[in-house]
Amino acid sequence: MIELKGLTKRYAGKSVVDDISLTLEDGEFGVLIGPSGCGKSTTLKMINRLIPASGGQILLNGDDVADLPVEQLRRRIGYAIQSTGLFPHWDVARNIATVPQLLKWPKSRIDDRVDELMALFHLDPAEFRGKYPHQLSGGQAQRVGVARALAADPEVLLMDEPFGAVDPLTREVLQAEMKRVHQQTGKTIVFVTHDMDEALSLATRIALLNQGRLVQYDRPIELMVEPADDFVREFIGQADLGLKLLSRRWVHQYQREARLQQTETLDSLHAHGWLIDDQGRPSALAGARLDDADAITRVKPEWIATPEMSMKEALSRMVWYRVMVLPVVDDAGKLIGEVGMQGVMGMQDEPEGALS
Amino acid sequence: MNAPVASSHRASRLTQVRARASGNLVLGGLIIVLVALTLGMGALEPLFHALFPELRNPLYARDSFLNLMLAHIGLVLVSSLISVTIGIAAGLFVTRPVGREFEPMVSSLAAIGQTFPPAAVLAIAVPLAGFGFAPTIIALSLYGLLPVIQNTIAGLGTVPQTTLEAARGNGMSRTQILMRVELPLAMRVIIAGIRVSVIINIGTATIGSTVGAKSLGTPLIAGLVGNNLAYVIQGALLVGLLAIVTDLLFERLERRYSFGG
Repeated sequence: MIELKGLTKRYAGKSVVDDISLTLEDGEFGVLIGPSGCGKSTTLKMINRLIPASGGQILLNGDDVADLPVEQLRRRIGYAIQSTGLFPHWDVARNIATVPQLLKWPKSRIDDRVDELMALFHLDPAEFRGKYPHQLSGGQAQRVGVARALAADPEVLLMDEPFGAVDPLTREVLQAEMKRVHQQTGKTIVFVTHDMDEALSLATRIALLNQGRLVQYDRPIELMVEPADDFVREFIGQADLGLKLLSRRWVHQYQREARLQQTETLDSLHAHGWLIDDQGRPSALAGARLDDADAITRVKPEWIATPEMSMKEALSRMVWYRVMVLPVVDDAGKLIGEVGMQGVMGMQDEPEGALS
Repeated sequence: MNAPVASSHRASRLTQVRARASGNLVLGGLIIVLVALTLGMGALEPLFHALFPELRNPLYARDSFLNLMLAHIGLVLVSSLISVTIGIAAGLFVTRPVGREFEPMVSSLAAIGQTFPPAAVLAIAVPLAGFGFAPTIIALSLYGLLPVIQNTIAGLGTVPQTTLEAARGNGMSRTQILMRVELPLAMRVIIAGIRVSVIINIGTATIGSTVGAKSLGTPLIAGLVGNNLAYVIQGALLVGLLAIVTDLLFERLERRYSFGG
């Protein structure tokens, strides 16, 4: 748990962080966000004392960080930054092993831990252990950077715009991975970004800062449906608020039963149904295609939705592939339901019911 | 799958290996020539007779070339050791928070050290330190200081801020950051500075002979004074070869500290 109490940072009499208080519970994914110069990075760096605080207090699991020896404190806190800061003269394995080596773990334990983390980030140890940072792609380097931050199993993980320097496609992949890693490790994370979409897709709590002050600290959905003031409303952006809301809604909340049918013919007009193969996987869709409502179409892999997929993504696929419904499948690929255009509209008027 | 890429990789590695092999050949050949000339300059006596028929003694014989070579290397080694020790220490000092304000002063002092011609420094050092080895060491050390200091400062300056922030953020102490991150990353540039300093000193050490320090400059100076071009050539040839071989060895050392990007 991290508690900020009246945290303040002044440079030459001017407050860049002004009396910020908030509490982040264990296992939460907290995002600090705001326009540039709002003090979000400064706030983050005061937690591991890369920047000394001018006033207030930071408690890390009850310990005042100011009372801890600074190197010890930093070894308890993972730190990942933009453009990775990987050590260019060390290979991937040694980079990941940075903090365990400082903590003087035995070599076998370090090796095991490095392999474990590389597996967590889908980096094949045989291929990547001995590579140097300049031999990695941006996405790979960023994964190694986060793996290094997690190496000594820190109590919290601080991330300072970690995906700011990678291309948009890679960033999306990394965000999805970060979400998975957060779920798998249950780490408490403090994450700085200026990208609202990134914040909305990753955070369980968002702290919106402006000119050094905390404007609103809430769950993502609440930030959208109950903005504290016009600044919040403006910063979130009104134009695609509906889509942003959908980015925090999951397919399983909208899922309904799928109607199966046996024959490859349409039963009646405007109805649609699914054909499944002998393993229960959706194989074809009868009807419900925009181009040809009466056709029976093979199910494409791109159509398939999972219960954890965001509704924004599901909707995007419906639009792109011109299909009114997507099949929802479980881990084994079995058809367990469907989600459709009409469902998206159905949830819109009861946002509170779907807080996540 | 990536056949063309893989094969072009292999091709570039092959050219690299070839280049390195031919580099080894050149270096090995030069070392052999250097050693052979140092030990067996006498064998070339007929050649020098033929080239300089007017000279009675076309081969320098007041001392063995081996002795001169060892003395020369000794001068360069001692003076370079002093330059490197003081230079790196000063470079480190002015890049730490405590010494940052001394940076302009140290830089200009070192620059002044190099502005003075070594001959002038020798002239000043002789009354203080007497003739021979000592004043030469003083002059060479001062002269070789600047490249070491400059490159130490520049090398430490090339370490990216993000790398330093990551090192601090991961809980390294100041000493650990210096030893594990800054110095290894700055080493290539620092070695380049040492290389320049040593190469300068190999050449400059010859003038030590004007104040009585034994070196490869001894036959050179004697030749100039006695109007014996053969002596000059013999001394200059060995100094030149020594400088080239040393330079190639340093190039190799530098290469070990290059880390991709």
